[in-house]
Amino acid sequence: MIELRAVSKNYNGRRVIDSVSLRMERSERVVLFGPSGCGKSTVLQLIAGLTLPDLGEILIDNELVARAHKNLREPEERGIGMVFQDLALWPHMTVAENIEFGLRAKRFPHKQRAQRVSEMVDLVRLGDYLNARPAELSGGQQQRVALARALALTPRILLMDEPLSTLDDELNRQLRQEILRLHDDLGFTLVYVTHSRDEARELGSRTIFLKQGRLDGEQS
Amino acid sequence: MEKRLTLWAAAAALAVIGLLPLLTMVTNSLVVNGVFSLQAYQALWESGSEQLALMGNSILLSLYVTLLATIMGVPLGILLGKTDLPLRRSLTALLTVPLLIPPYVIAVAWFALIGSGGWMSSVAPEASKHLATAFFGLYGCTGVLFTAFMPIVILLTIAYVGAVNPRLEDAGRLVSGWGGVLRHITLPSIAPAILFAAILVFLLTLGEVGVPTYLRYRVYPVETLTQFAAFYDFSAATAAAIPLLAITLALLALEYPILRNRTSELRTVMFGGRAHIKLGRWRFPLLALVLAWTAVTVALPLAVLIAQSWSASAYADAFARAGGSILRSLVFAAVGASLLMLVGFFGGYLIHNRTLPVWRGVDALTLFLFTLPGTVVGIGLISLWNTPMSNFIYSTPAIIILGYLAQYAVLPTRMTSAILDRVPRSLEQAAQLSGATWFMTLRQVVVPLARRGLIAVWIIAYVFCLRDLGVSMVVYPPGSDTLPVRILTLMANGAPSLIAALCVILIAVTLLPLGAVALWSGRTNP
Repeated sequence: MIELRAVSKNYNGRRVIDSVSLRMERSERVVLFGPSGCGKSTVLQLIAGLTLPDLGEILIDNELVARAHKNLREPEERGIGMVFQDLALWPHMTVAENIEFGLRAKRFPHKQRAQRVSEMVDLVRLGDYLNARPAELSGGQQQRVALARALALTPRILLMDEPLSTLDDELNRQLRQEILRLHDDLGFTLVYVTHSRDEARELGSRTIFLKQGRLDGEQS
Repeated sequence: MEKRLTLWAAAAALAVIGLLPLLTMVTNSLVVNGVFSLQAYQALWESGSEQLALMGNSILLSLYVTLLATIMGVPLGILLGKTDLPLRRSLTALLTVPLLIPPYVIAVAWFALIGSGGWMSSVAPEASKHLATAFFGLYGCTGVLFTAFMPIVILLTIAYVGAVNPRLEDAGRLVSGWGGVLRHITLPSIAPAILFAAILVFLLTLGEVGVPTYLRYRVYPVETLTQFAAFYDFSAATAAAIPLLAITLALLALEYPILRNRTSELRTVMFGGRAHIKLGRWRFPLLALVLAWTAVTVALPLAVLIAQSWSASAYADAFARAGGSILRSLVFAAVGASLLMLVGFFGGYLIHNRTLPVWRGVDALTLFLFTLPGTVVGIGLISLWNTPMSNFIYSTPAIIILGYLAQYAVLPTRMTSAILDRVPRSLEQAAQLSGATWFMTLRQVVVPLARRGLIAVWIIAYVFCLRDLGVSMVVYPPGSDTLPVRILTLMANGAPSLIAALCVILIAVTLLPLGAVALWSGRTNP
């Protein structure tokens, strides 16, 4: 469960999130929908702990993880996986190394790491590209690596920040199906940011509308 | 937590290395025998007309150099950074060489060319006599320092014309030729950078001691140094340093807010494609002009210097009389560069990510220290460390290293900050969300991606440590002089061939790592 209580955030003196309160249930698929600059990505950054709220509180599974200007749980302690808008694949690492990185950081034993990497590449159907670097992959394949990396530590919550926006329609449709399949298999809470109506309709069990940093209704 | 602690430690280290010496210096100048006194300032005031004349000379020299460097440097920067001029990368590298060597080496080279007994005296003795007379004094200092510092204007112009949003220029091109676009869009966009370059040149000229000493032009910083070195009147030297400190502070305070805001505007668009001006039929005539300029200002004096040193006995003598200084210079510069890279990395990270509220202070402090005359930094360091308890620093080469760290910290911090601009923030955030500690993220994500840039940081830091004269000359402990200091000392009575050989050695050890890296990057970047 994720809960935002009257959260506000300013950037350079401009209020980008204005007293937003919302609640997302466990295993729910929530889409944050709105035009560019409405504050959707900032909500994700706040949930992840990558930016601090100026006002309000953020709770994950009923635990207070952030309040005004303070993280009570650091990003790496929140059990969150994230797929960034630019994917943020480490270009100097191979596919396997990208996926394995978090497991190494958490000091998983070598054997367990190898097994988990293998499971992840099977899950996203990238078995043949373990030793490839991101630059050698197509856009769709890079997308899958980012997904596998985000899921490697079996997060409770998966945040996705307009990850499909640069892909063509066909690939976009395929990956939406894949995300739904992974959600059904793994049961994480999905928070998906987009400004595409098609993506919102297909991926969200609930869509929350944002406009100029404020909630502007929702639709199930 | 580890991130904040480390960055606080880096900020504190920079404050102790750079700020504390200056504060101690100012405090010491106000205390005589343990009580508050303005005695040193009174003495300075009483010699007012003399000091004023020296300061007038310094300011006049700085104005001439700044004016010339800006008038020549900006067009050259635009030609090299914005047009399709052939060989522009090689020409940029060649024109940068004078910045990488101590300015007085350029003076020595020019004297070898036009001075009495120089190459020109055998070709045109009358002209040589006139030129040699004019060379000693204001005009010679202006010419040499203009050549030495013009690369700052060229490099900053190149960097900033590349940062102008190409869309703005495209929009201008729909209604105007390149001339209009340059005049009304590009140049106004980079005006703060040009102003910054001009202020840097002005302040570096103001603090220069090597060239005025060699060319016997009386300027204010040399006087400060004389008070310290010849009369060992520390209190007078400190008081004399204060006006230089005040001028530097005032100029930077005026310029800093303007530049800070404008450069961040440029930075946000700096990764767009760069629009190149097609020179068309002017391409080769302009190339010929730039080539001629490079040949006269860079290649010719260096060639003459090499020719003058061209004998085995000169080099044997050079190694015999300055072998220790050469070795020390290499070791000190390597240690200084490594420490600068380390402190500068964390300082640059802090400035780039604005992690702590003191980031702006760190940025301003390092820039201030860079523009402060080396002699003032040196006197500050002695003020702080010359105590029985800290003798282990004062009387050892550690004080030279601290001087390097104080004077040149701006180079690695600014460079690291610029390098980190090219590492998307999301890569670090992704590592953080994967559970990596900050050090693990730095070690495995940030540093590998910034590796090439960090090598460049080390080299630039090494070059500046190696060429340093201002700080080293003031602080070096007995038996620990560096090569630039040794050369300046030997100039008084050394044979011209010996001085030329030492200058060539200095240039060689300075440019050696640059050449090695150029080769390496050529191999790894086919």
